[in-house]
Amino acid sequence: MEKFVQLVVDGLSTGSVYAALALAIVLVHSATGLINFAQGGMAVLAAYFAWWLTNQGLPLIVAILLSIVFSFVLGAAVERWLMRRFERGDPDTAIVVTVGLLTLITGIAGWLWSYNNQQFESLFPLDTVSFLGVSVSVRSIGTTLVIVAAMILLQLLFVRTKLGLALRAVAINPQSAAFSGLPVGRLLMVGWGLAAVLGAVAGALVAPRLTLTPGMLDNALVYALAAVILGGLTSPFGVVIAAWLIGVLENLAAVYVPFIGFDLKVAVPFILIFVVLLVRPQGLFGRKTVVRV
Amino acid sequence: MASSSKTSGPAASASTSSAPSSSALSFKQRPWVRWGAPLLLLVGLAVLPLVMTESTNDTLARIGVFAVAVLGLNVVMGYTGQVSLGQIFFLGLGAYVTAYGVSQEWNIVLVFALTCLIPAVAGLVVALAAARLGGLAIAMVTVALPIVGVPLAKRLSDYTGGSQGLSARFVEAPEGSGLYDDQWQLYIVLVVGGIVFLLTSLLVRGKYGRAFAIVKGNENVASSMGISPYRYKVLAFTIASLIGGVSGFLYMVVVQYTSPETMSFGHSIELLVAMVIGGAGSIVGSILGGAFYVVVPDITNAIDPSLTALLQGALLLAVLFVLPGGLVSLPRAVMRGLRRSTAGRGSAAPPTTPSPTAGSGSATENPETERQGHV
Amino acid sequence: MNRHFRSRRAVGIAAASALALTLTACGGNDAGRGGDAAEGAPSPGITDDSVTLGITTPLSGATAGPGTCTVAGIQAYFGAKNAEGGVEFGDGQTRTVEIEALDDGYDPQQAAANYDQLKNDVFAMTAGLGTPTNRAWRDAAIADEVPQVLIMTGDPLFSDTEQSPWQLGFVPIYQNEGEAFGELLAESGEEHKVAILSQNDDYGEGYVEGFKSAVEGADNIEIVEELTYEATDTSVDAQITELANSGADVFFNAMSITPLVISALQKAQQLNWLPSWFLPSNTSSPGAILQPGGAEAFPGIYSVSFAKAPQSPAFAEDEDVQAYLAALKEYGDYQDPPAFPHCQWSWMVGATLDQAFQEMTEPTRENFMEALRSIEGYQAPLMLEGTSVTTTEDNQPAVSTVNVQKYNGQGYDTVESFG
Repeated sequence: MEKFVQLVVDGLSTGSVYAALALAIVLVHSATGLINFAQGGMAVLAAYFAWWLTNQGLPLIVAILLSIVFSFVLGAAVERWLMRRFERGDPDTAIVVTVGLLTLITGIAGWLWSYNNQQFESLFPLDTVSFLGVSVSVRSIGTTLVIVAAMILLQLLFVRTKLGLALRAVAINPQSAAFSGLPVGRLLMVGWGLAAVLGAVAGALVAPRLTLTPGMLDNALVYALAAVILGGLTSPFGVVIAAWLIGVLENLAAVYVPFIGFDLKVAVPFILIFVVLLVRPQGLFGRKTVVRV
Repeated sequence: MASSSKTSGPAASASTSSAPSSSALSFKQRPWVRWGAPLLLLVGLAVLPLVMTESTNDTLARIGVFAVAVLGLNVVMGYTGQVSLGQIFFLGLGAYVTAYGVSQEWNIVLVFALTCLIPAVAGLVVALAAARLGGLAIAMVTVALPIVGVPLAKRLSDYTGGSQGLSARFVEAPEGSGLYDDQWQLYIVLVVGGIVFLLTSLLVRGKYGRAFAIVKGNENVASSMGISPYRYKVLAFTIASLIGGVSGFLYMVVVQYTSPETMSFGHSIELLVAMVIGGAGSIVGSILGGAFYVVVPDITNAIDPSLTALLQGALLLAVLFVLPGGLVSLPRAVMRGLRRSTAGRGSAAPPTTPSPTAGSGSATENPETERQGHV
Repeated sequence: MNRHFRSRRAVGIAAASALALTLTACGGNDAGRGGDAAEGAPSPGITDDSVTLGITTPLSGATAGPGTCTVAGIQAYFGAKNAEGGVEFGDGQTRTVEIEALDDGYDPQQAAANYDQLKNDVFAMTAGLGTPTNRAWRDAAIADEVPQVLIMTGDPLFSDTEQSPWQLGFVPIYQNEGEAFGELLAESGEEHKVAILSQNDDYGEGYVEGFKSAVEGADNIEIVEELTYEATDTSVDAQITELANSGADVFFNAMSITPLVISALQKAQQLNWLPSWFLPSNTSSPGAILQPGGAEAFPGIYSVSFAKAPQSPAFAEDEDVQAYLAALKEYGDYQDPPAFPHCQWSWMVGATLDQAFQEMTEPTRENFMEALRSIEGYQAPLMLEGTSVTTTEDNQPAVSTVNVQKYNGQGYDTVESFG
């Protein structure tokens, strides 16, 4: 029983890594209707920027805050100067552009800071908290709490603020949003900027755990995408739940389902997606959208 | 690269079902062009392997391999509008079937037949399940194929050789042909690949192709026309898998080695990139995509091997920025540019969004709204 | 560009007809593709004053970290040599050594393509990282008689002299490393319960195979739990949790992914599972792995090695280490101390090639292979006492002896017994 609970806790902690990235992907999708493959790459770039600042002698928290500002500008600039050309075109092309962006950013990080592994200081200590025979690090708890906070803020942003409504309006129909007087271009830049900010937070949270390398988030990307689809593209809340679900179920399946084992546990999220989407095509917590003919 | 421009000219005439400009049409309708061009192409392809250097032949053969893989992806994605991120799995499966068959010393024709059949059946099974979903969900289910395929290949190490992979040097130029191995390999790629391209272009220009296009355009419209989106999606996916399997056979002809790395997820994304860069929903685009897939790493290696990722990313973005419709839209873009410059400077401002004609093949549809409808 | 004189001829009459062309090509066949040279004539890639070596290795993607090192080390070694004028070969000529490295991104297909591109321009292929990426063109290298030597894979196939006449691995085969630790453990005479976590590929399997063969028949060793992970996993927490429950006091951890090793060390401490720990040679860097992982919490971290760890204070004043770090910066374009031992290994590959070059009496690939296969007991720079490069043993890579070492909180000490 202790092992079971420990596996669940481990799964939640791994799931939080996926959730951090997934939230940023959801934000971009909600604001522009695109899936951004480069989201993880932008987060890595932000983490490198923060790491570089700490090497220049800045305190970690200041470095992270500066990297957040940097990310907002980067995200907005990417939208304005790169993505805008593709937003109304073929969505496949736009996705491929984000793939190209990921490759480019990874290459830039490797060029500037080499492919050597770098240690990224953690905001939270690595002390262990034991509770009912289950151990968990303060770092994992801290990461999870920040992600939950980000999730709540994002949910509030979408549901309660004018900015959130405007962002969604732009994503759903840019033309009518423009007709109703919304500054579409600026809103899109803000959406990308905010997503990059979220990515920067995610990068700073997970870099100590994953070790800073240019491809740090490549393996997490697939899981994050799985969480995004599973949770329903429109719901920050659903996406975080889905990421945790994936992390936990993966562990449990690996340990308790002999046929799956640790090598095929990666199949678990996809089986989950398939089963869930057959029943609920909009995802676990997604809103149903009407298909226009 | 001279070769790809040579092949693209006449083949373009075979594939431009979507609104070519009027002057080009009349040119292409002249009888001597209609018959002469394919004949010239055929002769050109027959001579090509003999006159090229060994390394050029190798490169051309690899382009052929991935052009076929991209063509398969185009069937399901470019023509039918279903995002598939699993195409590399079928290439890998085909390569494994070939390598295994060769290691068991089965007849090569049987091996080839199995290389078509097994991936097609696998694709059919996956499609029967996946085609019930739409939009990005289908992408996530297909992305699982390479991701689960890699550990699965390691687990089935009795058949796959585990992570050390399988080598199979089974393509040697027959005695007395007087050909070198690289020439012989290129001939196999040209013949097999050529047949696949021919059949596929017939398919997408015929009744099925029209049905695919309608399904891509709007599934509800398709249903109301009596076209079952589900059945056509399954069909497209199965054909794509079969073509992927054939590309796996060709992969073994040319590379002669396969391992779990062959079907890693990253390559599946690279195939998608190649398809869009070449030009989605285009036969010629598939060839250009294959060329992009193969040639770009070579080019970036030649420039600076330690900056390959940076250069590849930059090149990809640059191409799409100039040609959002892919490389296949280059002639049209050039024509447009010429016309504009002769028309005067008044309308010189470049469009900020890709004009609909650059969407190559998907010009009449509006996939964006359709995709969002699913999400 | 002189290798295709036959094709030039064919180009001239390309316009004639396909049939005529086929005949021409057949006639041209005798000239030979790639140009088989006469006995004793120089092989491609070597002149009187220079020799070119080819490398295909991952310089981008997930394995770019160690991959970059495989180029940096050898570039540093020969960069320094070239600055001194070059290497004196056994035939009396002094040649500078040029490196042509290409990125394969750990894609076997690209590795094979890189080989095709390099094979006629380079004298030998060397130092590349990866099992599948080296296997992809092994057959071709044998057919073309191009040396594929001192490569960075512990796959035993490359050290099988009969099957791989033109190949030679550099690093110890994975089995050797696992075996060395297994022997130490079996000889301890104490009762030990062992938990195993290995990478699910030939790397992990090789280590486990070697370890098991060494502890086979030893009554005091019991393997209580055995799990695997994928190189693409983001976390091994669940595996550590399950292994911690096995009650093992020794943890055999055949892992090649640096971040995962660090997080495994941290996770075990959180669970208060503190076994003696075994790590492979490529993931046991004191500075890059053990310190961030908090390894001093464990009763013992054991590893096997044949190279001096530059970050270890014991070697801070070592001449070899200082020369190496300086050259790595100046010629290898590698600024900070590498987290991967592949940089050291690649430096040693350079030294070993240097050794072979000195024995070469003819500028041919055959002669080079002979010279390379006759090195015995060569103590390359950066090598630990008790290890050496020996290429005369059948079915063994260039380095087949390893020292078992124990972490002392800063660097490593060679140990003779467990505990």
